[in-house]
Amino acid sequence: MSAIITANGLNKAYKKQKVLNDLNWQIKQGDVVGLLGKNGAGKSTLLKGLLNITEVDSGEITILGESSRALSAETKAKIGYVPQESDEISWLSVDDLLTFRKQFYPRWNNKKVTQLISAWNIDVNKKISELSPGQVQKVLIILALAPEPELIIFDEPAAALDPAARRDFLKEIINLTSDENITIVFSTHIVSDLERIANKVAILDQGKICYFDELDHLKENVVQVSVRDPDHKHLEIPYALRTKNHSQGANCVVSQVDDVWLEQMKQQEIHVEINPMSLEDIFLELTA
Amino acid sequence: MKLNISPSSGIPIYKQIYEQVQRMIINNQIEVGVLLPSVRQIASELDVNPMTISKAYGLLEERGFLERQRGKGMLVVQRDQRISEQEKLSVLTKMINELVNQAGQMGVETFVLAELFNKEISQQDNKKNIKTMIEKDQE
Repeated sequence: MSAIITANGLNKAYKKQKVLNDLNWQIKQGDVVGLLGKNGAGKSTLLKGLLNITEVDSGEITILGESSRALSAETKAKIGYVPQESDEISWLSVDDLLTFRKQFYPRWNNKKVTQLISAWNIDVNKKISELSPGQVQKVLIILALAPEPELIIFDEPAAALDPAARRDFLKEIINLTSDENITIVFSTHIVSDLERIANKVAILDQGKICYFDELDHLKENVVQVSVRDPDHKHLEIPYALRTKNHSQGANCVVSQVDDVWLEQMKQQEIHVEINPMSLEDIFLELTA
Repeated sequence: MKLNISPSSGIPIYKQIYEQVQRMIINNQIEVGVLLPSVRQIASELDVNPMTISKAYGLLEERGFLERQRGKGMLVVQRDQRISEQEKLSVLTKMINELVNQAGQMGVETFVLAELFNKEISQQDNKKNIKTMIEKDQE
């Protein structure tokens, strides 16, 4: 499928602090991408940069076939964005805000809006400034989903949501993913949410996308290998990210298992144990 | 069909689903000729991406457990007996592997585990023998 977002050579620095460092990334149509990164890794900067909400210092970004610096109104209407912090007009009521925003979009799913407002108990007569952070986040999600966008970018969408609202939100996203044409990119700290809905994982570290692949591949490839080898004769483990030697052998995290090496160990009757790792552990290993 | 997934496990979700359905088919918990729930239905029950379910179903189809029925869904099918035998052994090997690993983590020596295993088997056999003896008596 075709690329929905292409980013080439993105750079961004705040004062002297480099946040994005010659970053390249390509997201295909239908992908559901979870973006992981430590605090301050620059996830928000990256997402805002992609949409030209924050201007990058250099680099080229193409979104839905257009340069992100000069998106047409038509293309903008196909993009939904949920920011981490609301910059909506706070003195408007929820109802007024919805009416206001609706006029900018050719499509607007009233049914979805009504359904989510009632499911999430949002008082539409309240002003945005009177809502709790969690409720504001719900309104932002509704605003992003209502125009039935082709590309949705969520910046920490579930951070302020309670567990029930988070589950509802996940269900909404799962419904969206049934449509193979919709592309979703979201940053999160909640790894288990990512594991439920994402098919791909991107890890942002030191200003670059240091890992981008299918979640299943990541889990199948990055594993823990234990070798029982008290004589420490055979401890050169291929693709090792980190090795800890101990008296009985070694524990190691590898980026992939080398079948040839595994066969050699078998022939030499050296006991090798391979254990899967949780995404959280993998993330910590890859960004250590 | 009751599926349990653990998203934060190191085993990909599609694989967890594949293994559970495979196990249920081999154990005859799901019978041949049954139509499995749709991808969307399972995705919404388990709260996971539908692509994950498709992937698991696809793999089950590839390995001959399921057959795609156009417009209907996935049908559990009768498989070649010989392949099925191999598959049974591979499922059992996997379970035994897990058991051996767990025993290792508990610090139980392998010979102790082997003894335990044999003891269990002979007890099960005894029960079966007694059962058949009683059945014969009743005849």
